[in-house]
Formats: sequence, C-alpha cells, structure tokens
Amino acid sequence: MSLNYQLFPISKPAKGAGGKTGNWRIVRPLVHEDKCVGCKACYIWCPEGTIIIKDGKVAVDYEYCKGCGVCSNVCPAKAIEMVSES
Amino acid sequence: MMEKVISGNDAVALAVKLSRVKVTGIYPITPQTYIIESLSEMKDRGELETEIIRVESEHSAMAATFGAAAAGVRAYTATASQGLLYMHEMVWWVAGSRIPVVMTVGTRAVGPPWNIWNEHTDFMSERDSGWIMAFASTPQEAMDLSIMAFRITEDERVFLPMMVGMDGFILSHTKTRVYVPSQEEVDSYLPPRRQPYVLDPEDPIAMGNMFSPEDYMKLRESIHRAQIASKEVIVEAGKEYMKRVVPIGSYSTLNESYKLEDADYAVVVMGAWSLDAMQAVDELRKEWLKVGVYRIRFVRPWAEEEVVKALKDKSVLVLDRSVSFGRGGQLYTEVKASLPDADIKGVITGLGGVSIGKNEMKAIIRKFVERPQGIEWFYPKEVGKIELRSPRYIK
Ligand code: SF4
Ligand code: SF4
Repeated sequence: MSLNYQLFPISKPAKGAGGKTGNWRIVRPLVHEDKCVGCKACYIWCPEGTIIIKDGKVAVDYEYCKGCGVCSNVCPAKAIEMVSES
Repeated sequence: MMEKVISGNDAVALAVKLSRVKVTGIYPITPQTYIIESLSEMKDRGELETEIIRVESEHSAMAATFGAAAAGVRAYTATASQGLLYMHEMVWWVAGSRIPVVMTVGTRAVGPPWNIWNEHTDFMSERDSGWIMAFASTPQEAMDLSIMAFRITEDERVFLPMMVGMDGFILSHTKTRVYVPSQEEVDSYLPPRRQPYVLDPEDPIAMGNMFSPEDYMKLRESIHRAQIASKEVIVEAGKEYMKRVVPIGSYSTLNESYKLEDADYAVVVMGAWSLDAMQAVDELRKEWLKVGVYRIRFVRPWAEEEVVKALKDKSVLVLDRSVSFGRGGQLYTEVKASLPDADIKGVITGLGGVSIGKNEMKAIIRKFVERPQGIEWFYPKEVGKIELRSPRYIK
C-alpha cells in the first residue's frame, strides 16, 4: 500500500527572504572578542537567532540581525557594543 | 489473562496502565473522574510509570497530552460533556497535527440545563474533527478498544488520534465481569511508539505554522484518506487482539451484526443499549418477528461497505441517543447516506438519562413494525405537565 497520501503539517526552519534586514537597520552589534567570556547569553536571548557561536567565538549574521540591542544589553561582560550603521 | 469484576472506568484505567502510557493530562469531570483517580492511585502505589499532569481545564488537559505525544511518548486523557466541548479546539488541533493520542469520553448530556446523565451528544459533536471514533457497548469492550487504539493510531497508514466512547454511568460505573490481559500479552501486542515526527532539539521542526491554501487543502485530504485507510488497520488490529490478548471479542469487523441474516427488520444502535436491543430482539423472535440488530462500533471511519452489506433489503430503524438540532439523529443521517434508497426510519430517545431498557426497546420496535411513522421522539413513560417559563416580553 502506498503511503504517498500521508502529509504532515510541519516545516523545517530555514532562512528566508522575509527576515532579511535590508537597509533599515540603524545600529549594529559589534563584538569585542577580547572581552567575551563565552557565556552564550547573547545567543540565548537574541530574538532573531542571528548570533552564531563557533568554537567559543561569537559572530553575528548581519544579513538578518535587526539591531535591537538585546544581545548588548544581556552581555554580562559588556563585550557587545552597538555602533551606528552610518 | 484473568477475570475481574470491575467498572468501565476501572477497565479503561487498566488499559492505560497495560498500554504503558507515559503521560496523562488529567482534569476531573463526571462521569470519567474515576479513571484519573484510579490512575493517580496506581501511580501512588508505584504500579504505574506515568507522568500525571494536573491541569486547570480540559482545554489544557488535551494541550498537555498533545505536547507529550508530540515529544514522542504514548499520551492519554479522558473527558466528558462540557469538558469535551471546552476541549474542542485542541481536539481539532491534535487531529490536524496528525499526532497519535488516545482519549476516553464517558458520554454525558450537554447543558444547559445541567444534567449529568448519559446520552451521546458530546461524543457525536466531534464527528468531523478527524479523530477515529469508536464506541464501546460493555466495560470489556471499553478496555479492549482502548488498548487497540494505541496500535491503530500509531500505524503509519493512520497517524490520527482516537477517542473511545463509553456510556456515562451505564458503563463507566457499573461493575461487571471483565477479562483483563496480562502485561506480557499486551506487550506482545503493542509495538514500540511510532509517530510521523517528533520534537527533537537536534533536528528542529516548526509545528503549527501558517500554510498556503493549496497546501492546507492537501493536508485536509490527507486526513480524509488516512481515515479511509484506517478501516483496514482496525480490522487487522482487532484480529490480532483476539489472537494475542483477549480471545473472546468479535473484532474482525468494524461494526457488529446480531441475528441479521434472515431478518426483515434491522435496528441500528450504538453503545450500551445495544445489549438491551439484542435482548428485545431475542424475545420478539419468539413471537416470530424477524428482527435483528446492527451495532455501530465505529462512527469514524464510517464502515460504508459493511453497513450497506448488512442493511440492504431490510426495513431499518435507527435509534439515536443524541440529536443534531434542526436535522435529526446523527446515526440516522449517516445510515441514510449509505443507503439512500432504503426504507429507513429514525427515533431519538434516551436523552439526558431517560431510561431505555429491554421493554422500551420492544415497544419501540413493535411500533416501528406496526406503524412505521410518528415515533421520531420516543418517551418511555407518559410525560407529565412540564412547568417551564413561557416567553416574557420586555416593553
Ligand atoms: S542586535 Fe538584536 S538581532 Fe542583532 S544580534 Fe543582537 S539581539 Fe540579535
Ligand atoms: S553574552 Fe557577551 S560574553 Fe556572553 S557569549 Fe555573548 S558576547 Fe560573549
């Protein structure tokens, strides 16, 4: 019996054009690696999931980061500075 | 397997235990409360390895059960009446999500006015939700169907939730002889949990998303086709159940026929009063009235082929213990749709606990045979003058 009628209402999360920042962001987070203690608070709190942690190092996906500053606010080491886009 | 004298609620609680349910979302409502009390007591005694989640409403009971099932374990809940109505949104959500969940409905009238006695309106109001819907006629069957439900819902051809209806009080609270299988017998019958997808942080998925119109419609068709495909699965599960678990059942068909082969008249019923109908038929047969009983066990999927085969060429009377206002009995409508050209009459009775036993059944069947019209609503006794308020006009 073929099961090709079976469909399920789920999808794989993926990056889409919808969430791209475009040119409207006015500030961006700048990570000072020397201050970062690798606690991952920024990673957990970023509402867009645009903080990337690789080998303990923090990077930001600027294509999708909206510049809200949440990461900068929660960083206990004050390692993330919000700088002007201009 | 051993014999016990227990109630329908006890039988279902044992089925849940034997099926190794891992999470139970519980909220009490008469007449199913005893099921969850019994599960809680079993857990307290250390006999049950189920996480019991106490919640603040039936809506949450289904939500918690659904969440647990989505995370990959057998999950169960029970409800009735207003509770099922309150849960309605989540009932649809579970079926639409295609996650296997099993639920007992201890059927009961829906208010207002307040009434805790039995009828089938609560159960029947979920006919279109996508759930597989079985209805028991004895505590034994309530237990058997509840165990089978896990196997049916978790089959890859199905992946839909299933509810088992059981007449409130008449089955839920009446003690009778039940054959209870051993843990080994049930273990040999129920395969490990299977489901279409699972919550897994290592392999993230999004659930409950927005779907475009065509995709949405395709998913609707998928539920419909899974319902149709479940007929074959139900029969397989039933036969296997008789082989491995409780050998005394009659589960090789979806519905059941009783003395129908040579009958001119067929009475269609569902639930506990099917047995009253069978007794009535036994006695009427002594008066040479050729009548038989057709017992609906599955409302969804609807056993179209079985119904047509059993009832064609007969005068049919469908008894409904619920009503679709402005339309009539739901079972009547279903049977009529399967046999549009047949001679079919319907009677609505037994609502809100109105007692229908063997003698009332005989009266209904006699009236049907002698005078097959004018008994759409049947009251077993003379109804006294009812003093309800008449309309009041506001100036
Ligand atoms: S600024 Fe906002 S969106 Fe950008 S990385 Fe920080 S928390 Fe995320
Ligand atoms: S919150 Fe600050 S210290 Fe912690 S990982 Fe992010 S940048 Fe580093």
